[in-house]
Amino acid sequence: MSVTITPTMVGQVVISGLLAGALYSMVALGLALIFGVMRVINIAHGTLLMLGAYTTFWWFQLLGINPYLSLLASMPLLFAIGLLLQYTLVTRVVNAPELSSLLLTFGISIALVNLARLAFTADLRSVEFLTGAFLVGPLALSKSRLISFAVAVAITLFAYWFLQKTKLGKALRATSQSSEVAMVCGINVPRIHLYAFGIASALAAAGGSLVAVMFAIQPEMGQVYTFKSFLVIVLGGAGNYPGALLGGMLLGLVEQLSSLFLTTQLSEAVAYLLLVLVLLLRPTGLLGGRAR
Amino acid sequence: MRRAVAAALAVALVLLALYPLVATGYGIRFMLQLFMWIALAQSWNLISGLTGYVSFGHVAFFGTGAYAGAILIATHGWHWIPASLMAGVAAVILALIIGYPCLRLKGPYFAISMLGLNEVMRVLVSYFEGLTGGGLGLSLPTLYASVAIYYATGLAAVAVTAGAHLIITSRFGLRLMTIREDEIAAEAMGIDTARHKLYAFLLSAFVPGVVGAFFARDQGYIEPISVFPLITTITMIVMALFGGKGTIWGPVLGAVTLFVFQELVWVRFLYLHEILFGALIVGVVLVMPRGVLGVLQQRYRLPRTV
Repeated sequence: MSVTITPTMVGQVVISGLLAGALYSMVALGLALIFGVMRVINIAHGTLLMLGAYTTFWWFQLLGINPYLSLLASMPLLFAIGLLLQYTLVTRVVNAPELSSLLLTFGISIALVNLARLAFTADLRSVEFLTGAFLVGPLALSKSRLISFAVAVAITLFAYWFLQKTKLGKALRATSQSSEVAMVCGINVPRIHLYAFGIASALAAAGGSLVAVMFAIQPEMGQVYTFKSFLVIVLGGAGNYPGALLGGMLLGLVEQLSSLFLTTQLSEAVAYLLLVLVLLLRPTGLLGGRAR
Repeated sequence: MRRAVAAALAVALVLLALYPLVATGYGIRFMLQLFMWIALAQSWNLISGLTGYVSFGHVAFFGTGAYAGAILIATHGWHWIPASLMAGVAAVILALIIGYPCLRLKGPYFAISMLGLNEVMRVLVSYFEGLTGGGLGLSLPTLYASVAIYYATGLAAVAVTAGAHLIITSRFGLRLMTIREDEIAAEAMGIDTARHKLYAFLLSAFVPGVVGAFFARDQGYIEPISVFPLITTITMIVMALFGGKGTIWGPVLGAVTLFVFQELVWVRFLYLHEILFGALIVGVVLVMPRGVLGVLQQRYRLPRTV
Protein backbone atom coordinates (compact mmCIF):
# COMPACT_ATOMS: atom_id res chain seq x y z
CA MET A 1 0.00 0.00 0.00
CA SER A 2 1.26 3.44 -0.84
CA VAL A 3 -0.19 5.36 2.09
CA THR A 4 2.45 7.52 3.76
CA ILE A 5 2.63 7.00 7.48
CA THR A 6 2.74 10.15 9.57
CA PRO A 7 3.77 10.47 13.24
CA THR A 8 0.15 11.29 14.07
CA MET A 9 -0.95 8.00 12.61
CA VAL A 10 1.65 6.17 14.66
CA GLY A 11 0.53 8.00 17.79
CA GLN A 12 -3.06 7.13 17.03
CA VAL A 13 -2.15 3.50 16.54
CA VAL A 14 -0.14 3.29 19.75
CA ILE A 15 -3.03 4.75 21.70
CA SER A 16 -5.55 2.44 20.07
CA GLY A 17 -3.22 -0.44 20.82
CA LEU A 18 -3.04 0.40 24.50
CA LEU A 19 -6.79 0.97 24.67
CA ALA A 20 -7.46 -2.44 23.17
CA GLY A 21 -4.64 -3.99 25.18
CA ALA A 22 -6.14 -3.17 28.57
CA LEU A 23 -9.25 -5.10 27.64
CA TYR A 24 -7.20 -8.08 26.46
CA SER A 25 -5.23 -8.00 29.71
CA MET A 26 -8.35 -8.09 31.83
CA VAL A 27 -9.96 -10.94 29.89
CA ALA A 28 -6.72 -12.91 29.72
CA LEU A 29 -6.16 -12.54 33.44
CA GLY A 30 -9.15 -14.83 33.93
CA LEU A 31 -7.70 -17.45 31.63
CA ALA A 32 -4.34 -17.13 33.41
CA LEU A 33 -6.06 -17.60 36.77
CA ILE A 34 -7.76 -20.84 35.70
CA PHE A 35 -4.59 -22.10 34.09
CA GLY A 36 -2.47 -21.11 37.07
CA VAL A 37 -4.72 -22.66 39.68
CA MET A 38 -5.88 -25.78 37.84
CA ARG A 39 -3.58 -26.30 34.83
CA VAL A 40 -6.69 -26.18 32.68
CA ILE A 41 -6.84 -24.18 29.45
CA ASN A 42 -10.44 -23.05 29.31
CA ILE A 43 -11.46 -23.08 25.65
CA ALA A 44 -14.87 -21.80 26.75
CA HIS A 45 -13.38 -18.55 28.09
CA GLY A 46 -14.40 -16.50 25.04
CA THR A 47 -17.81 -18.14 25.12
CA LEU A 48 -18.34 -16.82 28.64
CA LEU A 49 -17.31 -13.40 27.33
CA MET A 50 -20.00 -13.74 24.66
CA LEU A 51 -22.59 -14.48 27.36
CA GLY A 52 -21.47 -11.33 29.17
CA ALA A 53 -21.95 -9.33 25.98
CA TYR A 54 -25.48 -10.67 25.54
CA THR A 55 -26.32 -9.85 29.15
CA THR A 56 -25.43 -6.25 28.43
CA PHE A 57 -27.30 -6.28 25.14
CA TRP A 58 -30.53 -7.55 26.68
CA TRP A 59 -30.35 -5.23 29.66
CA PHE A 60 -29.97 -2.35 27.29
CA GLN A 61 -32.54 -3.60 24.78
CA LEU A 62 -35.28 -4.63 27.16
CA LEU A 63 -34.75 -2.37 30.14
CA GLY A 64 -32.82 0.50 28.61
CA ILE A 65 -30.19 0.26 31.34
CA ASN A 66 -26.85 1.98 30.84
CA PRO A 67 -24.57 -0.72 29.36
CA TYR A 68 -21.74 0.12 31.75
CA LEU A 69 -24.05 -0.43 34.71
CA SER A 70 -24.88 -3.85 33.32
CA LEU A 71 -21.45 -4.96 34.49
CA LEU A 72 -23.21 -5.26 37.82
CA ALA A 73 -25.41 -7.91 36.28
CA SER A 74 -23.07 -9.66 33.86
CA MET A 75 -20.23 -10.21 36.32
CA PRO A 76 -22.28 -11.85 39.12
CA LEU A 77 -24.29 -13.84 36.58
CA LEU A 78 -21.19 -15.26 34.92
CA PHE A 79 -19.56 -15.77 38.31
CA ALA A 80 -22.46 -18.06 39.11
CA ILE A 81 -22.32 -19.82 35.74
CA GLY A 82 -18.58 -20.30 36.17
CA LEU A 83 -19.09 -21.76 39.61
CA LEU A 84 -21.69 -24.12 38.25
CA LEU A 85 -19.50 -25.28 35.34
CA GLN A 86 -16.60 -25.90 37.69
CA TYR A 87 -18.76 -27.69 40.24
CA THR A 88 -20.51 -30.00 37.78
CA LEU A 89 -18.01 -30.64 34.98
CA VAL A 90 -14.55 -29.12 35.06
CA THR A 91 -13.71 -30.38 38.53
CA ARG A 92 -13.72 -33.91 37.17
CA VAL A 93 -10.84 -33.29 34.78
CA VAL A 94 -8.59 -31.15 36.96
CA ASN A 95 -6.13 -33.94 37.59
CA ALA A 96 -6.77 -35.77 34.32
CA PRO A 97 -4.37 -35.38 31.38
CA GLU A 98 -4.41 -31.81 30.03
CA LEU A 99 -6.05 -32.89 26.82
CA SER A 100 -9.16 -34.12 28.61
CA SER A 101 -9.71 -30.67 30.05
CA LEU A 102 -9.08 -29.06 26.66
CA LEU A 103 -11.61 -31.31 24.98
CA LEU A 104 -14.10 -30.92 27.79
CA THR A 105 -14.06 -27.12 27.74
CA PHE A 106 -14.13 -27.28 23.95
CA GLY A 107 -17.35 -29.31 24.21
CA ILE A 108 -18.82 -26.89 26.74
CA SER A 109 -17.98 -24.02 24.42
CA ILE A 110 -19.70 -25.60 21.40
CA ALA A 111 -22.79 -26.39 23.42
CA LEU A 112 -23.03 -22.87 24.87
CA VAL A 113 -22.44 -21.15 21.52
CA ASN A 114 -25.25 -23.11 19.95
CA LEU A 115 -27.56 -22.63 22.90
CA ALA A 116 -26.93 -18.92 22.42
CA ARG A 117 -27.75 -19.22 18.71
CA LEU A 118 -30.94 -21.03 19.59
CA ALA A 119 -31.90 -18.46 22.19
CA PHE A 120 -30.66 -15.25 20.59
CA THR A 121 -30.46 -16.19 16.85
CA ALA A 122 -27.27 -15.75 14.83
CA ASP A 123 -28.07 -12.13 13.92
CA LEU A 124 -25.48 -9.45 14.53
CA ARG A 125 -26.59 -7.28 17.42
CA SER A 126 -25.21 -4.01 18.64
CA VAL A 127 -25.68 -1.71 21.59
CA GLU A 128 -26.09 1.80 20.19
CA PHE A 129 -25.11 3.76 23.22
CA LEU A 130 -21.98 5.79 22.96
CA THR A 131 -20.64 6.92 19.60
CA GLY A 132 -18.25 9.61 18.51
CA ALA A 133 -14.81 10.51 19.70
CA PHE A 134 -12.90 13.02 21.77
CA LEU A 135 -10.46 15.10 19.76
CA VAL A 136 -7.17 15.61 21.54
CA GLY A 137 -4.95 17.68 19.28
CA PRO A 138 -4.66 15.69 16.05
CA LEU A 139 -5.71 12.45 17.74
CA ALA A 140 -9.24 11.06 17.80
CA LEU A 141 -10.10 8.91 20.81
CA SER A 142 -13.26 6.91 20.54
CA LYS A 143 -15.42 7.57 23.60
CA SER A 144 -16.53 4.00 24.04
CA ARG A 145 -12.98 2.71 23.78
CA LEU A 146 -11.72 5.23 26.27
CA ILE A 147 -14.35 4.28 28.82
CA SER A 148 -13.79 0.60 28.24
CA PHE A 149 -10.08 1.22 28.79
CA ALA A 150 -10.74 2.98 32.08
CA VAL A 151 -13.14 0.30 33.29
CA ALA A 152 -10.82 -2.51 32.24
CA VAL A 153 -7.84 -0.92 33.98
CA ALA A 154 -9.89 -0.36 37.13
CA ILE A 155 -11.13 -3.94 37.23
CA THR A 156 -7.68 -5.35 36.44
CA LEU A 157 -6.04 -3.29 39.17
CA PHE A 158 -8.73 -4.34 41.61
CA ALA A 159 -8.13 -7.98 40.67
CA TYR A 160 -4.38 -7.59 41.29
CA TRP A 161 -5.02 -5.93 44.60
CA PHE A 162 -7.39 -8.75 45.46
CA LEU A 163 -4.82 -11.40 44.54
CA GLN A 164 -2.06 -9.65 46.48
CA LYS A 165 -3.79 -8.54 49.64
CA THR A 166 -6.88 -10.53 50.51
CA LYS A 167 -6.86 -13.89 52.20
CA LEU A 168 -8.70 -15.52 49.31
CA GLY A 169 -6.31 -13.91 46.83
CA LYS A 170 -3.34 -15.30 48.70
CA ALA A 171 -4.96 -18.72 48.78
CA LEU A 172 -5.48 -18.52 45.02
CA ARG A 173 -1.83 -17.64 44.45
CA ALA A 174 -0.66 -20.32 46.84
CA THR A 175 -2.70 -22.91 44.96
CA SER A 176 -1.18 -21.69 41.69
CA GLN A 177 2.29 -22.26 43.07
CA SER A 178 1.64 -25.72 44.41
CA SER A 179 -1.74 -27.21 45.08
CA GLU A 180 -0.22 -29.96 47.23
CA VAL A 181 1.52 -27.55 49.56
CA ALA A 182 -1.57 -25.34 49.63
CA MET A 183 -3.63 -28.35 50.67
CA VAL A 184 -1.16 -29.24 53.39
CA CYS A 185 -1.41 -25.67 54.67
CA GLY A 186 -5.11 -26.16 55.19
CA ILE A 187 -6.39 -24.45 52.05
CA ASN A 188 -9.58 -26.04 50.76
CA VAL A 189 -8.27 -26.57 47.22
CA PRO A 190 -11.52 -27.67 45.55
CA ARG A 191 -13.16 -24.53 46.89
CA ILE A 192 -10.30 -22.42 45.55
CA HIS A 193 -10.91 -24.03 42.16
CA LEU A 194 -14.54 -22.93 42.35
CA TYR A 195 -13.55 -19.37 43.13
CA ALA A 196 -10.90 -19.34 40.41
CA PHE A 197 -13.40 -20.41 37.76
CA GLY A 198 -16.01 -18.02 39.06
CA ILE A 199 -13.70 -15.00 39.14
CA ALA A 200 -12.28 -15.85 35.73
CA SER A 201 -15.79 -16.06 34.28
CA ALA A 202 -16.68 -12.73 35.85
CA LEU A 203 -13.61 -11.14 34.26
CA ALA A 204 -14.59 -12.60 30.89
CA ALA A 205 -18.11 -11.25 31.40
CA ALA A 206 -16.77 -7.78 32.12
CA GLY A 207 -14.84 -8.00 28.86
CA GLY A 208 -18.00 -9.03 27.04
CA SER A 209 -20.00 -6.15 28.48
CA LEU A 210 -17.36 -3.67 27.35
CA VAL A 211 -17.02 -5.26 23.91
CA ALA A 212 -20.78 -5.08 23.47
CA VAL A 213 -20.67 -1.28 23.45
CA MET A 214 -17.86 -1.17 20.89
CA PHE A 215 -18.47 -3.96 18.39
CA ALA A 216 -21.27 -6.05 17.00
CA ILE A 217 -22.05 -9.16 19.01
CA GLN A 218 -23.08 -12.61 17.85
CA PRO A 219 -22.92 -16.10 19.34
CA GLU A 220 -19.61 -17.03 17.74
CA MET A 221 -17.75 -13.88 18.73
CA GLY A 222 -16.04 -15.58 21.65
CA GLN A 223 -13.67 -17.87 19.81
CA VAL A 224 -11.42 -15.05 18.72
CA TYR A 225 -11.19 -13.86 22.32
CA THR A 226 -10.29 -17.31 23.55
CA PHE A 227 -7.49 -17.33 21.05
CA LYS A 228 -6.37 -13.82 21.93
CA SER A 229 -6.44 -14.50 25.66
CA PHE A 230 -4.38 -17.58 25.11
CA LEU A 231 -1.94 -15.56 23.05
CA VAL A 232 -1.74 -13.00 25.84
CA ILE A 233 -0.93 -15.51 28.55
CA VAL A 234 1.60 -17.20 26.31
CA LEU A 235 3.25 -13.87 25.57
CA GLY A 236 3.28 -13.02 29.26
CA GLY A 237 4.29 -16.45 30.47
CA ALA A 238 1.55 -18.91 31.34
CA GLY A 239 0.49 -18.77 34.97
CA ASN A 240 2.28 -15.45 35.48
CA TYR A 241 -0.35 -12.87 36.47
CA PRO A 242 1.59 -9.60 35.84
CA GLY A 243 2.67 -11.25 32.59
CA ALA A 244 -0.97 -11.20 31.47
CA LEU A 245 -0.96 -7.42 31.78
CA LEU A 246 2.20 -7.05 29.71
CA GLY A 247 1.03 -9.61 27.17
CA GLY A 248 -2.31 -7.86 26.69
CA MET A 249 -0.71 -4.51 26.00
CA LEU A 250 1.79 -6.11 23.66
CA LEU A 251 -0.93 -7.88 21.71
CA GLY A 252 -2.96 -4.68 21.43
CA LEU A 253 0.04 -2.80 20.09
CA VAL A 254 1.12 -5.48 17.65
CA GLU A 255 -2.39 -5.81 16.26
CA GLN A 256 -2.84 -2.09 15.77
CA LEU A 257 0.63 -1.53 14.36
CA SER A 258 0.24 -4.34 11.87
CA SER A 259 -3.15 -3.03 10.82
CA LEU A 260 -1.37 0.21 9.93
CA PHE A 261 0.76 -1.58 7.38
CA LEU A 262 -1.63 -4.37 6.44
CA THR A 263 -5.38 -4.81 6.46
CA THR A 264 -7.21 -5.44 9.70
CA GLN A 265 -7.88 -8.98 8.58
CA LEU A 266 -4.23 -9.73 8.00
CA SER A 267 -3.30 -8.36 11.41
CA GLU A 268 -5.00 -11.47 12.83
CA ALA A 269 -2.52 -13.55 10.90
CA VAL A 270 0.27 -11.41 12.31
CA ALA A 271 -0.92 -12.13 15.86
CA TYR A 272 -0.74 -15.81 15.03
CA LEU A 273 2.78 -15.53 13.67
CA LEU A 274 3.72 -13.68 16.85
CA LEU A 275 2.42 -16.59 18.90
CA VAL A 276 4.43 -19.14 16.96
CA LEU A 277 7.56 -16.98 17.06
CA VAL A 278 7.38 -16.35 20.80
CA LEU A 279 6.83 -20.01 21.51
CA LEU A 280 9.77 -20.92 19.31
CA LEU A 281 12.11 -18.52 21.04
CA ARG A 282 10.78 -18.80 24.59
CA PRO A 283 8.55 -21.83 25.11
CA THR A 284 7.63 -20.53 28.58
CA GLY A 285 6.64 -17.02 27.47
CA LEU A 286 8.34 -13.69 27.80
CA LEU A 287 8.27 -13.38 31.57
CA GLY A 288 9.56 -16.88 32.14
CA GLY A 289 6.83 -18.75 33.94
CA ARG A 290 7.62 -22.23 35.07
CA ALA A 291 9.18 -24.74 32.74
CA ARG A 292 6.64 -27.27 31.70
CA MET B 1 -11.46 -65.61 13.66
CA ARG B 2 -9.02 -63.49 11.70
CA ARG B 3 -10.07 -65.20 8.46
CA ALA B 4 -13.73 -64.62 9.23
CA VAL B 5 -13.09 -60.94 9.80
CA ALA B 6 -11.04 -60.68 6.63
CA ALA B 7 -13.77 -62.42 4.66
CA ALA B 8 -16.45 -60.15 6.09
CA LEU B 9 -14.35 -57.12 5.20
CA ALA B 10 -13.85 -58.38 1.64
CA VAL B 11 -17.57 -58.94 1.22
CA ALA B 12 -18.32 -55.47 2.57
CA LEU B 13 -15.85 -53.91 0.16
CA VAL B 14 -17.32 -55.78 -2.83
CA LEU B 15 -20.84 -54.72 -1.84
CA LEU B 16 -19.74 -51.12 -1.51
CA ALA B 17 -18.03 -51.30 -4.90
CA LEU B 18 -21.22 -52.64 -6.52
CA TYR B 19 -23.49 -50.27 -4.63
CA PRO B 20 -23.59 -47.47 -7.27
CA LEU B 21 -25.14 -49.93 -9.74
CA VAL B 22 -28.33 -50.07 -7.68
CA ALA B 23 -28.23 -46.86 -5.67
CA THR B 24 -30.17 -43.67 -6.09
CA GLY B 25 -28.46 -40.30 -6.38
CA TYR B 26 -29.20 -39.60 -2.74
CA GLY B 27 -27.79 -42.96 -1.69
CA ILE B 28 -24.55 -42.31 -3.50
CA ARG B 29 -24.15 -38.88 -1.99
CA PHE B 30 -24.94 -40.25 1.46
CA MET B 31 -22.22 -42.87 1.17
CA LEU B 32 -19.80 -40.41 -0.40
CA GLN B 33 -20.13 -38.13 2.59
CA LEU B 34 -19.84 -41.04 4.99
CA PHE B 35 -16.56 -42.05 3.31
CA MET B 36 -15.39 -38.48 3.62
CA TRP B 37 -16.05 -38.45 7.35
CA ILE B 38 -14.35 -41.83 7.84
CA ALA B 39 -11.26 -40.50 6.04
CA LEU B 40 -11.27 -37.26 8.04
CA ALA B 41 -11.85 -38.85 11.44
CA GLN B 42 -9.19 -41.45 10.69
CA SER B 43 -6.68 -38.81 9.62
CA TRP B 44 -7.27 -36.86 12.85
CA ASN B 45 -6.73 -40.14 14.68
CA LEU B 46 -3.30 -40.58 13.08
CA ILE B 47 -1.89 -37.50 14.75
CA SER B 48 -4.11 -36.90 17.77
CA GLY B 49 -5.18 -40.43 18.63
CA LEU B 50 -1.70 -41.86 18.36
CA THR B 51 0.52 -39.09 19.70
CA GLY B 52 -1.93 -37.32 22.01
CA TYR B 53 -1.27 -34.00 20.28
CA VAL B 54 -4.83 -32.74 19.82
CA SER B 55 -5.30 -30.86 16.58
CA PHE B 56 -8.14 -28.33 16.94
CA GLY B 57 -7.68 -27.03 13.42
CA HIS B 58 -7.47 -30.13 11.28
CA VAL B 59 -9.97 -28.67 8.86
CA ALA B 60 -7.14 -26.29 7.81
CA PHE B 61 -5.74 -29.16 5.73
CA PHE B 62 -9.15 -29.97 4.30
CA GLY B 63 -9.69 -26.34 3.29
CA THR B 64 -6.19 -25.95 1.90
CA GLY B 65 -6.68 -29.08 -0.18
CA ALA B 66 -10.06 -27.86 -1.38
CA TYR B 67 -8.56 -24.58 -2.57
CA ALA B 68 -5.44 -26.16 -4.06
CA GLY B 69 -7.59 -28.65 -5.96
CA ALA B 70 -10.13 -26.07 -7.07
CA ILE B 71 -7.43 -23.68 -8.32
CA LEU B 72 -5.71 -26.41 -10.30
CA ILE B 73 -9.00 -27.55 -11.82
CA ALA B 74 -10.66 -24.19 -12.44
CA THR B 75 -7.68 -21.99 -13.29
CA HIS B 76 -5.18 -24.44 -14.72
CA GLY B 77 -7.57 -26.92 -16.29
CA TRP B 78 -6.22 -30.01 -14.55
CA HIS B 79 -8.15 -33.26 -14.40
CA TRP B 80 -9.59 -33.67 -10.90
CA ILE B 81 -7.70 -36.83 -10.03
CA PRO B 82 -4.14 -35.48 -10.38
CA ALA B 83 -5.37 -32.16 -8.99
CA SER B 84 -6.60 -33.94 -5.86
CA LEU B 85 -3.29 -35.70 -5.37
CA MET B 86 -1.51 -32.36 -5.70
CA ALA B 87 -3.98 -30.94 -3.17
CA GLY B 88 -2.82 -33.63 -0.75
CA VAL B 89 0.75 -32.54 -1.42
CA ALA B 90 -0.20 -28.91 -0.76
CA ALA B 91 -1.69 -29.91 2.60
CA VAL B 92 1.48 -31.83 3.43
CA ILE B 93 3.58 -28.77 2.61
CA LEU B 94 1.42 -26.67 4.92
CA ALA B 95 1.80 -29.35 7.59
CA LEU B 96 5.56 -29.28 7.14
CA ILE B 97 5.72 -25.50 7.52
CA ILE B 98 3.48 -25.43 10.55
CA GLY B 99 4.43 -28.77 12.08
CA TYR B 100 8.10 -28.01 12.39
CA PRO B 101 7.58 -25.21 14.94
CA CYS B 102 4.23 -26.18 16.43
CA LEU B 103 4.90 -29.83 17.18
CA ARG B 104 7.57 -28.74 19.63
CA LEU B 105 4.78 -27.21 21.69
CA LYS B 106 3.31 -29.26 24.46
CA GLY B 107 -0.34 -30.12 25.06
CA PRO B 108 -2.53 -27.03 25.04
CA TYR B 109 -0.03 -24.94 23.10
CA PHE B 110 -0.17 -27.24 20.11
CA ALA B 111 -3.96 -27.53 20.29
CA ILE B 112 -4.49 -23.77 20.30
CA SER B 113 -1.89 -23.13 17.63
CA MET B 114 -3.85 -25.43 15.32
CA LEU B 115 -7.06 -23.56 16.13
CA GLY B 116 -5.24 -20.38 15.14
CA LEU B 117 -3.90 -21.96 11.96
CA ASN B 118 -7.39 -22.58 10.67
CA GLU B 119 -8.44 -18.99 11.31
CA VAL B 120 -5.30 -17.72 9.60
CA MET B 121 -5.81 -19.91 6.54
CA ARG B 122 -9.36 -18.65 6.21
CA VAL B 123 -8.17 -15.05 6.43
CA LEU B 124 -5.38 -15.62 3.91
CA VAL B 125 -7.70 -17.33 1.45
CA SER B 126 -10.14 -14.42 1.66
CA TYR B 127 -7.30 -11.96 1.27
CA PHE B 128 -5.60 -13.30 -1.85
CA GLU B 129 -8.58 -12.62 -4.08
CA GLY B 130 -6.70 -12.92 -7.34
CA LEU B 131 -5.93 -16.53 -6.67
CA THR B 132 -8.93 -17.68 -4.69
CA GLY B 133 -11.78 -15.36 -5.61
CA GLY B 134 -11.81 -14.02 -2.05
CA GLY B 135 -15.17 -13.96 -0.33
CA LEU B 136 -16.94 -14.61 -3.63
CA GLY B 137 -15.48 -18.08 -3.78
CA LEU B 138 -14.44 -20.24 -6.69
CA SER B 139 -16.67 -22.06 -9.13
CA LEU B 140 -15.51 -25.22 -10.83
CA PRO B 141 -16.53 -26.28 -14.32
CA THR B 142 -19.61 -28.51 -14.20
CA LEU B 143 -18.95 -32.21 -13.98
CA TYR B 144 -21.46 -34.98 -13.40
CA ALA B 145 -19.24 -37.50 -11.72
CA SER B 146 -20.72 -38.34 -8.34
CA VAL B 147 -20.06 -42.02 -8.94
CA ALA B 148 -16.41 -41.42 -9.77
CA ILE B 149 -16.02 -39.27 -6.66
CA TYR B 150 -17.86 -41.96 -4.67
CA TYR B 151 -15.16 -44.44 -5.63
CA ALA B 152 -12.36 -41.96 -5.05
CA THR B 153 -13.57 -41.01 -1.56
CA GLY B 154 -14.25 -44.64 -0.73
CA LEU B 155 -10.72 -45.50 -1.78
CA ALA B 156 -9.38 -42.69 0.42
CA ALA B 157 -11.34 -44.01 3.41
CA VAL B 158 -10.10 -47.57 2.82
CA ALA B 159 -6.54 -46.42 2.24
CA VAL B 160 -6.32 -44.31 5.38
CA THR B 161 -7.86 -47.08 7.48
CA ALA B 162 -5.42 -49.59 6.01
CA GLY B 163 -2.70 -47.04 6.71
CA ALA B 164 -3.86 -46.74 10.31
CA HIS B 165 -3.69 -50.54 10.58
CA LEU B 166 -0.16 -50.62 9.19
CA ILE B 167 0.98 -47.82 11.48
CA ILE B 168 -0.66 -49.03 14.67
CA THR B 169 0.78 -52.52 14.25
CA SER B 170 4.25 -51.23 13.37
CA ARG B 171 7.23 -50.14 15.45
CA PHE B 172 6.59 -46.61 14.21
CA GLY B 173 3.10 -46.72 15.71
CA LEU B 174 4.39 -48.13 18.98
CA ARG B 175 6.84 -45.27 19.21
CA LEU B 176 4.06 -42.74 18.55
CA MET B 177 1.99 -44.27 21.34
CA THR B 178 5.02 -44.16 23.62
CA ILE B 179 5.20 -40.43 22.93
CA ARG B 180 1.54 -40.17 23.88
CA GLU B 181 2.02 -41.99 27.17
CA ASP B 182 5.20 -40.22 28.25
CA GLU B 183 7.14 -38.07 25.87
CA ILE B 184 10.12 -37.52 28.13
CA ALA B 185 10.48 -41.23 28.74
CA ALA B 186 10.18 -41.84 24.99
CA GLU B 187 13.04 -39.44 24.40
CA ALA B 188 15.09 -41.06 27.12
CA MET B 189 14.59 -44.39 25.35
CA GLY B 190 16.26 -42.93 22.29
CA ILE B 191 13.14 -42.22 20.21
CA ASP B 192 13.59 -39.19 17.96
CA THR B 193 10.26 -37.76 19.10
CA ALA B 194 10.41 -34.61 16.94
CA ARG B 195 10.85 -36.60 13.74
CA HIS B 196 8.20 -39.19 14.65
CA LYS B 197 5.62 -36.55 15.49
CA LEU B 198 6.37 -34.71 12.27
CA TYR B 199 5.99 -37.87 10.14
CA ALA B 200 2.67 -38.67 11.79
CA PHE B 201 1.52 -35.10 11.24
CA LEU B 202 2.47 -35.13 7.54
CA LEU B 203 0.70 -38.45 6.99
CA SER B 204 -2.28 -37.09 8.84
CA ALA B 205 -2.43 -33.96 6.64
CA PHE B 206 -2.28 -35.71 3.28
CA VAL B 207 -5.69 -37.36 3.40
CA PRO B 208 -7.75 -34.30 4.42
CA GLY B 209 -5.98 -32.41 1.61
CA VAL B 210 -7.02 -34.98 -0.98
CA VAL B 211 -10.53 -35.31 0.42
CA GLY B 212 -10.85 -31.53 0.47
CA ALA B 213 -10.20 -31.48 -3.26
CA PHE B 214 -12.79 -34.24 -3.79
CA PHE B 215 -15.22 -32.13 -1.82
CA ALA B 216 -14.49 -29.07 -3.98
CA ARG B 217 -14.92 -31.15 -7.15
CA ASP B 218 -18.13 -32.66 -5.87
CA GLN B 219 -19.66 -29.38 -4.69
CA GLY B 220 -18.57 -27.42 -7.77
CA TYR B 221 -18.27 -24.25 -5.69
CA ILE B 222 -16.24 -23.37 -2.62
CA GLU B 223 -15.83 -20.28 -0.46
CA PRO B 224 -13.75 -19.62 2.66
CA ILE B 225 -16.52 -20.31 5.15
CA SER B 226 -17.60 -23.52 3.44
CA VAL B 227 -14.20 -25.22 3.60
CA PHE B 228 -12.74 -23.88 6.86
CA PRO B 229 -15.61 -24.33 9.33
CA LEU B 230 -14.70 -25.16 12.90
CA ILE B 231 -17.61 -27.61 13.01
CA THR B 232 -15.77 -29.89 10.57
CA THR B 233 -12.86 -30.20 12.99
CA ILE B 234 -15.30 -30.75 15.84
CA THR B 235 -17.06 -33.48 13.91
CA MET B 236 -13.79 -35.28 13.16
CA ILE B 237 -12.82 -35.11 16.83
CA VAL B 238 -16.20 -36.27 18.09
CA MET B 239 -16.29 -39.20 15.68
CA ALA B 240 -12.80 -40.39 16.60
CA LEU B 241 -13.41 -39.89 20.33
CA PHE B 242 -16.77 -41.61 20.24
CA GLY B 243 -15.49 -44.71 18.49
CA GLY B 244 -12.20 -44.75 20.35
CA LYS B 245 -9.15 -42.65 19.59
CA GLY B 246 -5.87 -44.39 18.96
CA THR B 247 -7.59 -47.55 17.71
CA ILE B 248 -7.87 -48.77 14.12
CA TRP B 249 -11.63 -49.18 13.86
CA GLY B 250 -12.69 -46.58 16.40
CA PRO B 251 -12.83 -43.64 14.00
CA VAL B 252 -14.70 -45.79 11.44
CA LEU B 253 -17.22 -46.90 14.04
CA GLY B 254 -17.60 -43.33 15.29
CA ALA B 255 -18.01 -41.89 11.80
CA VAL B 256 -20.63 -44.45 10.77
CA THR B 257 -22.65 -44.15 13.98
CA LEU B 258 -22.61 -40.39 14.25
CA PHE B 259 -23.01 -39.65 10.55
CA VAL B 260 -26.07 -41.87 10.30
CA PHE B 261 -27.49 -40.25 13.42
CA GLN B 262 -26.71 -36.82 12.09
CA GLU B 263 -28.33 -37.45 8.71
CA LEU B 264 -31.41 -39.15 10.05
CA VAL B 265 -32.12 -37.33 13.28
CA TRP B 266 -30.09 -34.30 14.17
CA VAL B 267 -30.23 -32.48 10.85
CA ARG B 268 -33.89 -31.78 11.53
CA PHE B 269 -32.87 -29.60 14.45
CA LEU B 270 -30.52 -26.98 13.10
CA TYR B 271 -28.74 -25.77 16.22
CA LEU B 272 -29.70 -28.65 18.42
CA HIS B 273 -27.40 -30.96 16.55
CA GLU B 274 -24.37 -28.83 17.35
CA ILE B 275 -25.47 -28.55 20.98
CA LEU B 276 -25.64 -32.34 21.01
CA PHE B 277 -22.16 -32.54 19.53
CA GLY B 278 -20.87 -30.32 22.31
CA ALA B 279 -22.67 -32.37 24.93
CA LEU B 280 -21.34 -35.54 23.33
CA ILE B 281 -17.74 -34.33 23.64
CA VAL B 282 -18.35 -33.54 27.30
CA GLY B 283 -20.02 -36.90 27.84
CA VAL B 284 -17.34 -38.93 26.08
CA VAL B 285 -14.53 -37.16 27.93
CA LEU B 286 -16.20 -37.72 31.30
CA VAL B 287 -17.84 -41.11 30.88
CA MET B 288 -15.78 -43.07 28.39
CA PRO B 289 -12.55 -41.28 27.56
CA ARG B 290 -11.43 -44.30 25.54
CA GLY B 291 -14.53 -44.39 23.37
CA VAL B 292 -16.83 -47.31 22.62
CA LEU B 293 -14.08 -49.49 21.21
CA GLY B 294 -11.71 -48.56 24.01
CA VAL B 295 -14.28 -49.70 26.55
CA LEU B 296 -14.83 -52.96 24.66
CA GLN B 297 -11.09 -53.51 24.40
CA GLN B 298 -10.74 -53.14 28.11
CA ARG B 299 -13.70 -55.27 29.02
CA TYR B 300 -13.26 -58.14 26.58
CA ARG B 301 -9.50 -58.00 26.23
CA LEU B 302 -9.65 -57.46 22.53
CA PRO B 303 -6.24 -57.25 20.90
CA ARG B 304 -4.72 -53.81 20.49
CA THR B 305 -4.98 -54.19 16.73
CA VAL B 306 -8.70 -53.51 16.51
